[in-house]
Amino acid sequence: MDHNIYLIGLNHKSAGVDIRERYALTNVEEFEAGLLDIGVREVMALSTCNRVEILVVCSEAITESEILTYWANKCSGSRSDLEPNTYCHKDLKAVNHLFRVACSLDSMIVGEPQILGQLKDSYRNAVEAGAARVIINRMLHKAFFVAKRVRTETLIASSAVSISYAAVELAKKIFGELKGQKAMLIGAGEMAELAATHLLNSGVEEIRIANRTLSNAQELAKKMNGEPIPFESLYDYLSDTDIIISSTGAPHAVIKAKEMKKVIKKRKFRPMFFIDIAVPRDIDPDVNSLDNVYLYDIDDLKDVVEENMSQREDEAVKASSIVESETLSFGNWINSLDLQPTIVDLFNRSEGIAQAELAKTLKRLGDVDDKTKEALEFMALSIGKKLLHEPVSFLKRRTEEEGAADRFVDLARRMFNLDNDTIPPDAHCKRKKPKA
Amino acid sequence: MTLFEFFQYVIIALYLMGMIFFIAGAFKNNPIMGKLGNLCAIGGFALHSLDLLLAITVYKGTVLTGGFFYFSLLGWSFILVYFGLWWKIRNTFFALTASPLALLLFIASLAAQSLKVTLPAHLAGLFIGLHIGTIFVSIALMAMAAGAGVAFIYLNNKIKTKANLTAFGKEMPSLNTFDRVNHWAIMIGFPLYTLGLAAGFLWARGTFTKMFSWDPKEIVTLLVWFLFAFLFHQRTIVGWRGKKPAILVIIVFVITMISLWGINFFIPTHHNFKA
Repeated sequence: MDHNIYLIGLNHKSAGVDIRERYALTNVEEFEAGLLDIGVREVMALSTCNRVEILVVCSEAITESEILTYWANKCSGSRSDLEPNTYCHKDLKAVNHLFRVACSLDSMIVGEPQILGQLKDSYRNAVEAGAARVIINRMLHKAFFVAKRVRTETLIASSAVSISYAAVELAKKIFGELKGQKAMLIGAGEMAELAATHLLNSGVEEIRIANRTLSNAQELAKKMNGEPIPFESLYDYLSDTDIIISSTGAPHAVIKAKEMKKVIKKRKFRPMFFIDIAVPRDIDPDVNSLDNVYLYDIDDLKDVVEENMSQREDEAVKASSIVESETLSFGNWINSLDLQPTIVDLFNRSEGIAQAELAKTLKRLGDVDDKTKEALEFMALSIGKKLLHEPVSFLKRRTEEEGAADRFVDLARRMFNLDNDTIPPDAHCKRKKPKA
Repeated sequence: MTLFEFFQYVIIALYLMGMIFFIAGAFKNNPIMGKLGNLCAIGGFALHSLDLLLAITVYKGTVLTGGFFYFSLLGWSFILVYFGLWWKIRNTFFALTASPLALLLFIASLAAQSLKVTLPAHLAGLFIGLHIGTIFVSIALMAMAAGAGVAFIYLNNKIKTKANLTAFGKEMPSLNTFDRVNHWAIMIGFPLYTLGLAAGFLWARGTFTKMFSWDPKEIVTLLVWFLFAFLFHQRTIVGWRGKKPAILVIIVFVITMISLWGINFFIPTHHNFKA
C-alpha cells in the first residue's frame, strides 16, 4: 500500500465547546480544496456542533502534523492549541472510527440518527468537489452500509432517550397513529412546548393552549398555530381532548380524579393520555386508576428514558462487534488494492470459470479419453490466461503512475467483481446519462 | 398416499412454518419473518380451500356427517378472518392467535376422520350452511378479539404500572388497535352469530319439530348469545372500550371453546361427535 488513511478530528469528548467553536470549519469546500492543493489524494471533512472529522487519503510523504498545521492555520489558531484536543487515527483505526461515527456509537447520545444525515451531506459535497475518490467512496459507502446494518440488526435506535420523545412514543403505544388526535397544553414551559411540538410533528390534528393568563395562552397559541382556551372551561374542552400535557406552577392539583370520572364517561371511554411535567404535580395521581386514562409524570418519563438509555448501551456492544467485523472486511479490500493480489484473484477467477465450463463440456461429451481431456483443459486455461494478458499488462503500466494504482486496481476489481459484491440490477440506473 | 393425504400434509407443513415465522417475527422484531409467515399462510389457505372443495365434491351431501369437515372448516375460518384483519391493519400480530388455532383445528380434523355427526335425513341445505358458516366466522372473530383482549390487558397493565416494555412489547400494536379488533369482532360477529342461531333454530324446527329442545349445546349457545348481546349493547350504547369488553370477549370465547370441545364430545347432544 503506498497510501495512508488518516482520520483527524475532535469531538465533544476530546474538546470543550470553546475549542469546538474555534476549530469548526466554516467553509468545508475551501478547506478540502486547500488540502488537495498541499498534495493529499482524497479528502472529506465533516463539521457539526459536536465534532469535526477530517478524513484524508495521502501518500506517505504527507504527515498528520502537516494536516493539523493546515487545519489550525485555516481557523486562525495554533497547532499547539489544537493538537491536545484532537485525535488522530491511522489506516484501519481510521476506518473503524468513521464506521463508529456513522453508526452513532461515538455520538453524545448513542444511537441518535442525525449524524448519519450530516455524514451523507459531507460526502455528497466532497464527491461534487472531486475530493472523494476510490478509497473515500468505498469507505463511505461501506460506512452507510454498516450504519444500516446496525440499525436493522440491533435495537440501538428503537426507543426514545429524551423526555419529550418518550412521551410521544407512549402516546403512539396508546393511540396508534396520532393523526386526528387532539392535544392540550396546560401552562407553559420549555419541555412541555417541546413535547407539544413533537406531538404536532407526529400528526396531532389540533393543539389547545390553556393558561391562567389568557394573553399568554394566546401568544403561545399563535406560536404553535393552536387554539387558546379559557382556563376556567378546562373540563369542557377535556372531554374532546386525547392528549394533555400539563406544566403549570400551581401548588395543588389542577385536574382531579373525581372530575375526570365525569369527563371520561362523557367522551364514551375514549382513551386519554396525561403527561404531567409539573413539580409539584398538576394531575391527581388517582386519574391513572380510571379505565382508559393513562397518566405519566416527570419521574415516570425519566425512568422510561433511563431504561431506554441502558438498553442502548447494551445494544451498542452488539453494534461495536458489527463495526469490528466490517472494519476487517474493509481492511481486506484495502489490501487487495495492491496489484499483486488483484492479479492472483483475476487468474483464479479465470481458472475457476475455465474449470467449470470444462466440467460441463466433458459431461456433455460423455466418454472421452484422457488425451482429449488434457487437450481441452489446456485450451480452456490458455484462453483465460491469454484473455487476461493484455489487461494485466495495462494494469502494471498504469499502476506505475503516481496516484493511479488505487483507481485502476479498484476498477479492475469491480469490472470482474473480484470481491463478490451483490450488485442490485438497478445499481447504475440513477446515474445521469452523459449529454449527447 | 392419496391426493387428499398429500394435500393435508402440505397444509400442515405450511401452517406450521407460518406459525413459526409469525412467532419468531414477533419476538425477534423482524418484519421479513412476518412476510414469510404470510406467504406460508396464503399457500396453506389456498390448499386448505382446495382440500375443502375436494371434500365437498367427492363426498357431496355426506361431507356434513364427517366430524373432520367441521374442524377443518373452523380452522379455515380462522385464517380467513386473520386475512381480513391483516388487510385492515397490515399487522401480522393477530396471526399469533389465528395460526396456532388453525393448525390445531386442522390436525384435529385429521384425527377426527372417524368421527360421525348425527344428522337427520332431511337436512335443509340452506339453513345448515347458513348456520355453520355464520357461527364459524363469528367464532373466528371471537378468537381474534380474545387474542387482542389478552394482548390489550397485558399492554394496558404495562402502561398503567409504568413497567418497562420488552422488545416484544415495544413492537406490539397499540392499545387502540386491539380495541378496534374487539369492536369489529363484536359489530360483525354478533349479527353473524345471531343469524347463525336463527338459522339453527329454524332448521331445528323443520328437523326436530321444535325450535328449542333444552339440548346442552343449545343452552350454552344461548348463554353465549346473551353475553354477546350484552357486549354489543355496552359497546354501542354505553360506549364501553378497552379493558371491560376485552375481558368479556375472552370469557365468551372460553365458554365457546368449552362448548366446542367439551359438549360436542362428552355430553349427549344432537351436536354430538361419535367415534
